[in-house]
Amino acid sequence: MKIRTIRYFIRQSFSSLWRNKAMSVAAISSVFAALLVIGIFLTVVLNVDYLATRLESQVEIKVYVNDGLSTEVINAMNKDIKGLSGVKDSMFLSKEKALEEFTEQLGENSNLLDGLEEDNPLADSFIVTMEDPRMASNVTTAISAMSNVENVVYGKEELEKLLNITYLLRVGSLTIVFILVLISIFIISNTIKLTVFARRKEIGIMKYVGATDGFVKGPFFAEGILMGLLGSIVSIAIICIGYHFGIRYIEQQSLGFISITLLPIASVFYNLSFSLVLIGIIIGSLGSMISIRKFLKV
Amino acid sequence: MSSFKQLQLYVRWKGRDLLIEMVNVSKKFGDGFRALHNVSINIKNGEFVFIVGQSGAGKSTLIKLLLKEISADSGSIIINNKDISKLKRKEIPYLRRNIGVVFQDFRLLQDKTVYENVAFAMEVIEAPGKDIRRKVPIVLSLVGLSKKSDLYPHQLSGGEQQRVSLARAIVNGPSILIADEPTGNLDPDTSWEIMKNLNEINHRGTTVLMATHAKDIVDSMKKRVIEIEEGIVIRDEQRGGYEV
Ligand SMILES: Nc1ncnc2c1ncn2[C@@H]1O[C@H](COP(=O)(O)OP(=O)(O)OP(=O)(O)O)[C@@H](O)[C@H]1O
Ligand SMILES: [Mg+2]
Repeated sequence: MKIRTIRYFIRQSFSSLWRNKAMSVAAISSVFAALLVIGIFLTVVLNVDYLATRLESQVEIKVYVNDGLSTEVINAMNKDIKGLSGVKDSMFLSKEKALEEFTEQLGENSNLLDGLEEDNPLADSFIVTMEDPRMASNVTTAISAMSNVENVVYGKEELEKLLNITYLLRVGSLTIVFILVLISIFIISNTIKLTVFARRKEIGIMKYVGATDGFVKGPFFAEGILMGLLGSIVSIAIICIGYHFGIRYIEQQSLGFISITLLPIASVFYNLSFSLVLIGIIIGSLGSMISIRKFLKV
Repeated sequence: MSSFKQLQLYVRWKGRDLLIEMVNVSKKFGDGFRALHNVSINIKNGEFVFIVGQSGAGKSTLIKLLLKEISADSGSIIINNKDISKLKRKEIPYLRRNIGVVFQDFRLLQDKTVYENVAFAMEVIEAPGKDIRRKVPIVLSLVGLSKKSDLYPHQLSGGEQQRVSLARAIVNGPSILIADEPTGNLDPDTSWEIMKNLNEINHRGTTVLMATHAKDIVDSMKKRVIEIEEGIVIRDEQRGGYEV
C-alpha cells in the first residue's frame, strides 16, 4: 500500500472523528475506562508479584524443640539443619532470649509479661532462613522428622493470603475488563456506523469509479484504531500520574509484618504502555471490523 | 484469398471489436419478479446506443448487471473478452474502472469543488498526483467547465452539475460510458448540451450506452436503439427512433 494512501486514511479518520465529536468522545471514553481498569489491574499485579517475591525470600521456618536440651544436642541439631539443601542459616533461640525479644517488642506494655520470667511459656527454637524459598516445604518435612522437634512453623500464611488476594483480584478485574471491552467495541462500532452513514454517498461514488474494497474500508479501520489509540494514551497518562502520587502515599503505610516498597514508575511504564496501546488498538480494530462487515456492503 | 479464410479473418476482427456481449441473460428479483428475460445484445467498440422502454422495463437492471452491482441468474455477459459472471469480488473494481457512469441525479459531493469532485475519482483508484493534476483540467475543458473548477456543486446549474459528473465518469479513461437517464432532471436546451458532450466523448472513441425517455433526443440523433419491454428486447435497430 502506498504511503499516500495511508496518509489519506489517517486524514479521513481524523476528519470523521471531528465530524462525530460527541460519539467519538463517548467511544474514546469507553476505551479509556476499560484500559484504566486493565492498567490499574496490571500495575497492582506487577507490584503484588514483586512484593510476593520479596516476601518469599524473607520466609522463616520456626522449629520449636523439647525443653532442656543439652548444648551438644543443640549444636548437633543446628549442624544438621544447616546441612539441609536450600537452607541459608539456622540460629538457636533460647526461650529466655525469645521472651526478652518479645518484651522489647511490647515496649510500654511489657508489664503484661511481668512474672513470666519464673514460668516462661515460650519454647526453645531454631530460626531457619531459606536460600531458596521454594525448598521451604521440603525442609519443613525433613526437620519435622528429626528427634526432639516439637513443632515446625513455616511462616507462609501471609504469603498465601497475599496470593489469594491477587487471585481474587485477577478474577474480579478480568470480569470487569471483559465487560468494559465489550462495551467499548460496541460504542466504537456504533460511532463508525455513523461515519459510514455520513459518508454513504461518497462510498457509493468510490464503488462506481472502481475503488478497491480495501481502499473503501481503510478510513473506517483507521478511525477505529485512532479511537482505541486515543483512549489508551489518556489511560496511560492518568495511570502514570496516579501512580506517581500513589506510590508515595502507599509506601508510607505499613502492613505490619512487612514494609511496602513499590516498583519504581519507570519499570512499570514500558510494560504498561505497550500492553495498553496494544489492547486499545485491538479494541479499535474489532469495533471497526464489526461495523464494516455490517454496514459497509462493498 | 479463399472465402473461408476471409470469413475467419472477419470473425476474428469482429471478435476483437466486440466490447459487450450479452447472451441469453435473465434476471429475477427475490420476489420472483422477472426483470430481464433472455436478453442478448452485442455492442461494438465505439458505438453509441440508446436503451429505451417504459418505466419498469428493465433498463436500469441491465446497467446494474453490466456494472456487476447485481449478478445475472443465467446467461453470460462478456465485457472486453472477459466473462464478468466469473469475476471474483476482488476483480469488480477493475471492471468498473473501465466503465464510467452518470446518473439522473448527478451524485456530486457537495463539500467538494468541481475540480475536487473530478479529482476524487482518480484519487480513490490511487492515481499518481501528477496524473491527477494533468488530467482533471483536460476533462473539465472537454465538458466546458474550465472556468468553474473552483465552484461548489450548489453554485452550478443542473446542466453544469451533470457535466461535472460526465467529467468524473471519463477522467479515468474508461472504454465504456454508461448514462442512466442523464437528462432526466434537465430542461430540453440543457439536455442538448449534455448530448453534445456525450457525442463528443463518443467521437473520441468511448462507447456510449444511454438509457433514456427523451423521445426527441433519440429521434433526432439517429443512433442505434434497443427497446426493452417487460424485460425482453423487442427491438434493436441501427439509426432508429424512440418508437417504431
Ligand atoms: N432490487 C429489486 N428488487 C425487486 N424488484 C426490483 C429491484 N430492482 C428493480 N426491480 C424491478 O424490476 C423492474 C425493472 O426495473 P428497472 O429499474 O430496471 O426499470 P427501468 O427500465 O430502469 O425503469 P425507469 O425508466 O423508471 O428507470 C421494475 O419493475 C422494478 O420494480
Ligand atoms: Mg431506470
